[in-house]
Amino acid sequence: MIPATYRASFSYMLRHPWQLALALVGIGIGVAVIVAVDLANSSARKAFLLSMDKVTGEATHQLIGGPRGIEENVYVRLRTDHGLEAIAPVVDGSVEVDDVRLDVLGIDLFAEREIRPFTAEATVPEGGDDSSTQNLFSAFLTEPGSVTMSARTASELGIDVGESFTVLAGGVEFSGFLLGTYDSDQGGLDNVVIVDIATAQAWLGQRGWLSRIDVRIADGDAGALDRLKQSLPSGVRVLTAAGRTQATAAMSQAFMTNLTAMSLLALLVGLFLIFNSVSFSVLQRRGLIAVLRALGVTRRQLFAMILTEAAVLGTIAAILGVVAGTWLGEQLLTLVSRSINDLYFRVSVTAVTVDTFSVAKGLVAGIGAALVAAAAPAIEATTWEPRLAMSRSTLERRAGRVLPLVTALGVVTMAMAALLLLVSGRDLVAGLAAVFLLILGFAFCVPFVVRRASLALSPVARGLGGTTARMAVSGVATSLSRTGIAIVALAIAVSATIGVSVMVDSFRASVQDWLQQTLQADIYAGVQRGAMLPDLIEDLADIEGVTAISTSRRTWIETAAERTQLLAVRMAPGSYAGTDVLDAKPDEVWAAWESGDTVLVSEPYAYQNRVGPGDRITLPTSAGERSFAIAASFRSYDINASAVMISRDNYDRYFDDDGVDTLGFYLSPGTNVDAVIDEIRSISEGRQRLRVDSNARIRDLSLEIFDQTFVITDVLYWLATGVAFIGILGAMLALQLERAREFAMLRALGMTPGQVGSMITTQTGVIGLLSGIAAIPLGVVMAWVLIKVINRRAFGWQIDMAVTPDILVNAVIFAVGASLLAGLYPAWRAARSRPAVVMREE
Amino acid sequence: MRLLILAVSSLLLSLVHADEPAQGSRLSDLLNDATATGFDKADAPREFSFPEDHGPHEGFRNEWWYVTGNLDDEEGRRFGFELTIFRFSLTPTGATDDSAWRTNQVYIAHLAVTDAARNRFFVAERFSRGALGLAGAQADPFRVWIDDWEMSSAGPGKPWRILADDEEIALELELMPLRQPVLNGDAGLSRKSSSIDSASYYYSITRLQTDGTITVAGTDYRVSGLSWLDREWSTSALAPDQVGWDWFALQLSDGTDVMLYNIRKTDGTADENSSGTLTRDDGSTKGLKQQDFEIVVNDRWTSPEGGNYPSRWTIRVPGEDLDISVVPVIADQELFTTVRYWEGAVDVEGRHAGRPVSGRGYVELTGYAE
Repeated sequence: MIPATYRASFSYMLRHPWQLALALVGIGIGVAVIVAVDLANSSARKAFLLSMDKVTGEATHQLIGGPRGIEENVYVRLRTDHGLEAIAPVVDGSVEVDDVRLDVLGIDLFAEREIRPFTAEATVPEGGDDSSTQNLFSAFLTEPGSVTMSARTASELGIDVGESFTVLAGGVEFSGFLLGTYDSDQGGLDNVVIVDIATAQAWLGQRGWLSRIDVRIADGDAGALDRLKQSLPSGVRVLTAAGRTQATAAMSQAFMTNLTAMSLLALLVGLFLIFNSVSFSVLQRRGLIAVLRALGVTRRQLFAMILTEAAVLGTIAAILGVVAGTWLGEQLLTLVSRSINDLYFRVSVTAVTVDTFSVAKGLVAGIGAALVAAAAPAIEATTWEPRLAMSRSTLERRAGRVLPLVTALGVVTMAMAALLLLVSGRDLVAGLAAVFLLILGFAFCVPFVVRRASLALSPVARGLGGTTARMAVSGVATSLSRTGIAIVALAIAVSATIGVSVMVDSFRASVQDWLQQTLQADIYAGVQRGAMLPDLIEDLADIEGVTAISTSRRTWIETAAERTQLLAVRMAPGSYAGTDVLDAKPDEVWAAWESGDTVLVSEPYAYQNRVGPGDRITLPTSAGERSFAIAASFRSYDINASAVMISRDNYDRYFDDDGVDTLGFYLSPGTNVDAVIDEIRSISEGRQRLRVDSNARIRDLSLEIFDQTFVITDVLYWLATGVAFIGILGAMLALQLERAREFAMLRALGMTPGQVGSMITTQTGVIGLLSGIAAIPLGVVMAWVLIKVINRRAFGWQIDMAVTPDILVNAVIFAVGASLLAGLYPAWRAARSRPAVVMREE
Repeated sequence: MRLLILAVSSLLLSLVHADEPAQGSRLSDLLNDATATGFDKADAPREFSFPEDHGPHEGFRNEWWYVTGNLDDEEGRRFGFELTIFRFSLTPTGATDDSAWRTNQVYIAHLAVTDAARNRFFVAERFSRGALGLAGAQADPFRVWIDDWEMSSAGPGKPWRILADDEEIALELELMPLRQPVLNGDAGLSRKSSSIDSASYYYSITRLQTDGTITVAGTDYRVSGLSWLDREWSTSALAPDQVGWDWFALQLSDGTDVMLYNIRKTDGTADENSSGTLTRDDGSTKGLKQQDFEIVVNDRWTSPEGGNYPSRWTIRVPGEDLDISVVPVIADQELFTTVRYWEGAVDVEGRHAGRPVSGRGYVELTGYAE
């Protein structure tokens, strides 16, 4: 049998469905966002790891070389001279088919039995007879352009087995032919095409070169590893396959951590909401609680009842949240994987994989949040004396007494946040924890601030709008026990909006400045992957009106722990100003950079590796490791920001690669940019498809990509704001219900329905206004922390902070608008109520 | 007659197979491919010339260098070995030259060692494309290799060298031909069925004095004995109604060498094109037709992995007064390579021309455990 106390709480909830629904929605949204972000992150990560796992196969180690890779003869010698058997050559890269980016895995089928046996498991549709399948197979080896891929990828591309298609590799068109497909159940092969190594070399311009050599060494066979190392020529290094996967995955780690932090923000706001609901339900039942206590219900039982309520609520909400989160996760996943694709590495995710751990995290977070939020009101309820039918005024007095304590707690918490920021060095997670402490501390202070503000405002309000207005404004202060939480929730949501907006705007402005400075040439032409055809470069340089040309080449250098971009640049005369040298005199830097064994490093590289001018770094050159001096660091907001810039002469000297991927064209004054662009296009037509853009267009495109990257940020803080909106709606509804008698009295005293309505509306407006204003300092501080601490720690960027007034004004307007909107329905209900009925019921 | 191209065909099929798994493919389907147009064909006798014909014949679809031998160490410890390198042309003409990796040539090698004293049998297999020097074949100086396994010779009159190793076994042998190449069949044209297309070019060097080292499980043994080389190339060899063959290469103590093969048909009978060659001590040869010899199976051996093989035989060649029994040195000499077959060292006892003889040799049995 259910104890009377629980029946009481059950019937109470049923009589207040709105309140119930809001509490559920609040915590549910919080849980949903957490689960969604977690699922999206983990699905993207899992898809990436699955794909890496598949493509890495059984390889335990990988041999890598310089920017172009390893000369293929190295592989031949390892097999024929050194008798190594469990090794497989790989030529990989990316191509496009119908604007879809595909990874090319070029393999030698004969070497794959030890490494990737699945590559031999392609099938042709039923109906193919044996002799034709044999012919298809021999085509894999002998016919240029023959590919195999997963059945899913083939169907997504709309290519049937036996069909030809156009492949765009390094801007050059090739013909592909689908020989057979792999069972999609294998997984990890989405958007991967597997080709013979000969085809891969031809497509990717890698004749004579391998991207890497995969090696399988039995677990713990140190002798084999040593023998392998001794067989290698200089410039070829051994890395563990797992380490390489990790280093690649690590590139997106900061991005994912930031997303998780934003999802926690949504839960935090939800936490306030449930605190609000539970507190209010306790307060509202103070009569009932007094009766229960008088009937002999112990404090312990009462405490248990309220917590059980919260737990039940939390569980239901969490379950709903998990369900919603799974759906939301799929939407988010598209955004997350697009961002990762744009920024880091190719990841193909077709569906969210519902992961028990993510679900468990969501459930625990939801139920935990509900219990934490309910703990304070539950404790409070147990302190009440049975005989005391607590009056509202007693309550407010108590609230008033507690206020200084809470405020002091808030100040201490904020101080702790500051301390944490100071002592946590470069730790990103600690930085994020500090942000949450800051928010929490601020939350504790908000009621105090609002109370003072509304008391101070009420005379002003009277002057402006008469008694109704004064009552509305001072009502905010006198009903703080209920409105306080709503105000806090809104303030936090708004401050998050301010913080994120200021951060994004500042970042955008810095990027814009940087682009302006960096893009010195009038026109850029190049290929996204691969290298430009050398004879094409010569022809392009001869275009009339072109006074100078700069070249650049982006490649990756790898060490055991990380991947760093190596940027080989030949600057056009006088274009040095395009690089923003941060910590040295530019004039001195450039001479050394051009001639000596000197490099520049990007600001994030310098930050992450704790190096600066005068330090030396070791780069794996084609002739083995070599030490270079750092002349200075330069500003870069390039997303693969950890970069080393080397002069082209030095690059040619130390790295066995003559490729160029981008040309910068400097035009003589008065030359028509568009005409030159047309000329570049017509010269390259039919030879190599180049991306040709004016510097203005690149600037626009870059900013467009920048904006796209932050779409996901937008989505998340809108969700947090949604939670806050529901909080206000809930608080105002509850307030209105509780004050029904008060309103009825006012009506009886002659107030018109319109006046009651407008009083309530004014009050919600004031709540919004005060929340908005209170949110400004937190928002600005949060922006500062996000820019100077979080972004710096996550990516190593330095961003100039710029607070524009319109962000702040918009935030306040938004807060007022949101709360007015949330107050509409309660106001309408209050105005519509019939005083006589309400008073009789009471 | 030797193991045909099913090795590569199975490999190829395992890459792109339809509803039917490679294991279930019928041997004859693989060896009787109607799409063989454009390849050279073994359809008429030809002049053989050495050392050129030791080298590759890339116009033909399949080719192999097949060396087997029976060796003893100084303490009389008995070993058998097999090193075979197969070459396949995937297409009749060479491939485009978009990359040094591009080729129509594929090589497969099988290495097996029988350690009679310990009743153990070791097998290893290699695959490679014939490109970039990873694998290949050349006539002068003779060399055929895959990875670091190779057969080579410094020139005519010089010994052949064999180098091959795997985890537990290694061969390092020198082989000195004791006889001139023997042309099997009709002056080297060896018919496998009644179809005009089903034939190969086939010669053997039936005795090579062999010395060197065999390594088994980390121990080197100085060994010597006799080896046998088979060379064969063709484009299509088996008819649809043929399932496999039993092949014998026997070296007798009186200097006689006997090669016989029995092609089995789906109905269990021997194909009339089964044949053999008898080489006498003076180097003269005599072709044997199916009706000239009789092979009786005396016992059978069942592989632990399934497959029931004949394992003791009585062979009679009445016209030569030859009556011998053939017994495997150890029962289990089955190769679990891409294609399963049995190929192992055997002992010979019996009578020839009225006198007792003994001998050694190798037997190959295919089509029993597909």
